[in-house]
Amino acid sequence: MCVAALVAVSGGCTGSVESDVRFRINLEGFNPAEVSTEQRQHLVNATVAFFGTPDEPYVFDGTGLDAKKLQMAAGPSWSDEEGVHRGLYRKHCAHCHGISGDGAGPTAIFLNPYPRDYRPGIFKFKSTQRASKPTTADMRRILHHGIPGTAMPSFALLHEDEIDALIEYVKYLSIRGQTEQMLVSRLVEADEELTRDVIVEELTLVVDTWNEAESSIITPPERPPVDTPAQLAASIDAGHKLFLAKEKSQCVNCHGPTGLGDGGDDKVYDDWNKIKLDKPAADFALPIQRLLPRNLRLGIYRGGRRPLDIYRRIHAGINGTQMPEFGPSPSNPKGALKAEEIWNLVDYVLSLPYEKSSRVHEPASVAQRARF
Amino acid sequence: MGKLASLFFFAVPIVGVGFCYWALTNGYNFPVDISVTGHRIDHLFWFIAALTGVVFIATEGVLAWFVWRYDGSRNPDAAKFAHGNHNLEVVWTIVPAATLVFIAIYQMNAWADAKMRPPDMDPTVEVTARQFEWRLRYPGADGKLGTRDDVHHVNDLHVPLDTEILVSLKSADVLHSFFLPNLRVKQDAVPGMKIPVWFRAMEPGTYDLVCAELCGWGHYKMKGRLTVESREDFEAWLAKKYQEQSATQDAPAEEAKSEE
Repeated sequence: MCVAALVAVSGGCTGSVESDVRFRINLEGFNPAEVSTEQRQHLVNATVAFFGTPDEPYVFDGTGLDAKKLQMAAGPSWSDEEGVHRGLYRKHCAHCHGISGDGAGPTAIFLNPYPRDYRPGIFKFKSTQRASKPTTADMRRILHHGIPGTAMPSFALLHEDEIDALIEYVKYLSIRGQTEQMLVSRLVEADEELTRDVIVEELTLVVDTWNEAESSIITPPERPPVDTPAQLAASIDAGHKLFLAKEKSQCVNCHGPTGLGDGGDDKVYDDWNKIKLDKPAADFALPIQRLLPRNLRLGIYRGGRRPLDIYRRIHAGINGTQMPEFGPSPSNPKGALKAEEIWNLVDYVLSLPYEKSSRVHEPASVAQRARF
Repeated sequence: MGKLASLFFFAVPIVGVGFCYWALTNGYNFPVDISVTGHRIDHLFWFIAALTGVVFIATEGVLAWFVWRYDGSRNPDAAKFAHGNHNLEVVWTIVPAATLVFIAIYQMNAWADAKMRPPDMDPTVEVTARQFEWRLRYPGADGKLGTRDDVHHVNDLHVPLDTEILVSLKSADVLHSFFLPNLRVKQDAVPGMKIPVWFRAMEPGTYDLVCAELCGWGHYKMKGRLTVESREDFEAWLAKKYQEQSATQDAPAEEAKSEE
């Protein structure tokens, strides 16, 4: 019996493990009953041909991705061969973000907010305009700092090579996911055949958005000086007035007059959950989750606590959420707020966790007081 | 059972001690101790190990001898049952009890110095344990925690060399345990409590900070890094973190890579 056990153990530990891990097909937003088996197979063939599998990613020439980094990140998270360096994504990320980058790994169900679903190509915390993709530096920042207040940890203790590989793989999953979404749309809605030209066309459109990110970085104008306490107090005061100005900034409408996040009455949802409204829950991996306006008094800033980060959150809003943009953007060159006004708001927001409790706020209406 | 079986029982204390000896002489020992008072913990460990080791060898030896001496094939007589020996039972109750009381008193000072007598100083850093990371908060230039100029960081704990360090330990959610193996420091982080943890690190370098209380699915990877450096390096690092935190513009290209 001992001998048999030894043989079994040694037999199961050899290097070449045939893994049948596959990406999950993404039919969210469509009625699965309306998609035929042939169509599903067609889609799978198309995506495997152009992107490969979780173990063997394929880099199509036009994507500009680094195959070596993808090799490091992809594959099984262990190997009994010496010197093999693979499986970083599966080791560090897949349990939340899922094998397909769908934000629905095994631990996702316990989390609020859910882990990011890369497939729509929408990212929240970045230095670029609202509709743009994040830059590589943005993604590095997220991996280094984590996202405070959420389950996304800091990976600063990983080697820089490993972080590079993970960034590349997340980009790969996002490009793959967004291309797949476009292809599903053409396949199911337009009943098109997914020829090589069709796939390359969609792929190129998605890759272009990633390449455009670098040119879309928001560089704020210089901040007015707040070195003396008097200057800082003046800026905070101006920011406070802007915060309360309903027509101009609308801050209180969601964040509430005291910044607790109790402003709005209606239930709101982010883009990843909005599509689940009024649809059967079985069509989606995770139940619908509400979006709450941020409580600004906690001193927890998901996208970073630098004044620069807060400026960008206000300027571009937060893509995928109800936080609107207030700065100039390609679609709105004037912008609702001037740079100085945004800096005032930044100073006000950063002062909220330290505000003396003697500063009394009158809520806008009795109804809001009743909601406590 | 056969005399052969009793050899197996004899082998237990021999293999046990032999393996322990082999392990200690082949590098399997405690993590390097860079603290001032950690040696007291190590001493207590070896003292108790020696004490229990002696009892272990004695007990296993006696057990093995009984298996040998009273082997059924050589002892065809029926067993004789004694009605107990009152004196023997008193002895083998009092001696272990006294030993345990001795150990309890012997370690009291070490425990009190490590847990009950915090140094009278302001915290060097506030560590908030959180699923599954260590959030750090250093007082800024004003020397006070909880003000605007605090430096916030995560997982990467820096302390100055040869300085008394006081950590104010909190938890944001569930039980965690702040464990610095190389400083022989371990303290549960209890939600709702602010617990002082103190140590003095005497060797520069990077060391582990791990979680020692099961806190969820990510407990196994709730790891941080302790960096012990000279006071100048520490102050420079803290100042750099504060600068980065106050940034109103992106730093030039090396920013992202050098931020760690």
